[in-house]
Amino acid sequence: MRGLGRWSSKWWPGTIPLAVIWALAAWTSTTPLETELGNRASAALKDILLDKSRVSVSGRDVTLAADAFSEDGRRSAVAAIEAVPGVRLVNDETGLIPEARPFVWSAERDVVRLTLTGSSPLPASKAKLMEAARADLGGVEVVDQTGLSRGAPPRFDEAALLLLDQVARLKDGKITISDNKVSLAGMARELGGREAIAAALKNLPEGFSVASNEIKAPPYIFQANKDPVAQTLTLTGNVPDNNLHGAIVAAAGRKFFSEKVVDNLKASLGAPAGFASAVMPALAALSRLSTGTLVVSDREVKLSGDALYDSAAAQLRASLIKDFPQGWQLKPDISVKPAAAPVDPTVCQQLFSELLAKGTIRFESGRSSLDPDSAGLLDHLTEIALRCPATNIEVAGHTDADGDNATNLALSEKRAQAVVDYLVKAGLSASRFTAIGYGSTQPVATNDTDEGKARNRRIEFVVKEQS
Amino acid sequence: MMFLATFHWGWLLAALLLGFAMGWIAVVHRGHGVSKRLARWLAALAAACLAAALARVVPGRFGYWLDLGLALFAAYLIGCGIGSLLRDRVLPGPANAD
Repeated sequence: MRGLGRWSSKWWPGTIPLAVIWALAAWTSTTPLETELGNRASAALKDILLDKSRVSVSGRDVTLAADAFSEDGRRSAVAAIEAVPGVRLVNDETGLIPEARPFVWSAERDVVRLTLTGSSPLPASKAKLMEAARADLGGVEVVDQTGLSRGAPPRFDEAALLLLDQVARLKDGKITISDNKVSLAGMARELGGREAIAAALKNLPEGFSVASNEIKAPPYIFQANKDPVAQTLTLTGNVPDNNLHGAIVAAAGRKFFSEKVVDNLKASLGAPAGFASAVMPALAALSRLSTGTLVVSDREVKLSGDALYDSAAAQLRASLIKDFPQGWQLKPDISVKPAAAPVDPTVCQQLFSELLAKGTIRFESGRSSLDPDSAGLLDHLTEIALRCPATNIEVAGHTDADGDNATNLALSEKRAQAVVDYLVKAGLSASRFTAIGYGSTQPVATNDTDEGKARNRRIEFVVKEQS
Repeated sequence: MMFLATFHWGWLLAALLLGFAMGWIAVVHRGHGVSKRLARWLAALAAACLAAALARVVPGRFGYWLDLGLALFAAYLIGCGIGSLLRDRVLPGPANAD
């Protein structure tokens, strides 16, 4: 061992060939070593989510440039490369993707295309939303212009997916998520689309809220047209549900005593609130017109036509305004039908009889109050009475044979009087009318059947020349 | 280090063999050795290089080449040591009398 120190002083000549070996080794191994380390580093990053990741190797030093989606992701990427065998140093040039404040994502739809703009939190959610958009809007071109940003609210994907489903219900419009506020604007494709969207928004994930919902729907239209020539009442448009549909058709059948009801209504969602309480009085008003049209468009009601006489027009305007629900707009355009030519008493009697053959004046059961559904018929009777001013008219009340005679007699007279009151209120002279109750003494049909009884319960007009 | 050893085993072996040969020869070599003073300087230089490598202060490719050089030099020195000792043991010759 003592000699080692002595000998080592003579080892130096070998360093010259050693230097040659060194140079050769460096010359030949540098590039393969860098390639090898580069491959290993890339493999180590395979499962770590990075944007624009770039690995470069110089000697045994690896430079990693990338945008990470979180601070944790950034650190684990650097650590993964440090753990690669053979790597001496990691030059950390990683950063984080930009943070969006506020985090805005929006989907804008027009007729032919859907454009996604703003930010997505991760490439995976970007792809997922793109795929969902294609699936929801079959046949519509989908353009994704979103970039990647940090700062998305929790459960962003869930919210965006739900909103994409809603975009499919729009004809055009824009849905935006700004942080955790959702705003919607546009036009629904179908009636009821607006309501369906509003209902779906209730399922937004926790933390999200609707800042503004300005989705419009196509106007909700209901129309009724009374045509006295064809003697039809044509109902078209929408009603909220089948119950109301049935109720409207039934009411129309009662109110329009001489017209055939043509029912082209269909049930659809999206009716404005108070639909029934606006349409029913409007329909009743229409029944009192000689000819007319009712158009309900969203909350606007247009009633136009001719009333049968002056005071009817005034009554209609006044009662409609009184009965109308809040928030509805009424645009009455009611004129008065020109007075028909006077007729002689015989024709007058004939007209009364024909009219009362078509419709019956109804009362509330067991009472003498006029059923509002009979207003149309009473207006027509009034009009006839106006055409023969030189006559006296006996208004005769009849009942069926149920109940005792005294009660029936009293009821029939009261009912006759109620009709006279209506006529007087319409502007006719009270002196022309006599109300007489006959009770059940003058039946026109058998009292053994319900049908016969219904025919016996009646009001008759008997025209008498003034003496 | 294991990575370097497996990646460069050929070169390291070459350095080791070269060292072995040099060590073998050195025992009977009659030429001038390195003076003590110079040897100290060279040792200091080697220590400085080693320190630089361990501290990883030399960047990139130069850093790698430094590591490679030091690894080869270490293999060479080990080779020299083994060579000299073996020669000394196996062939006690007149040179030992020097």
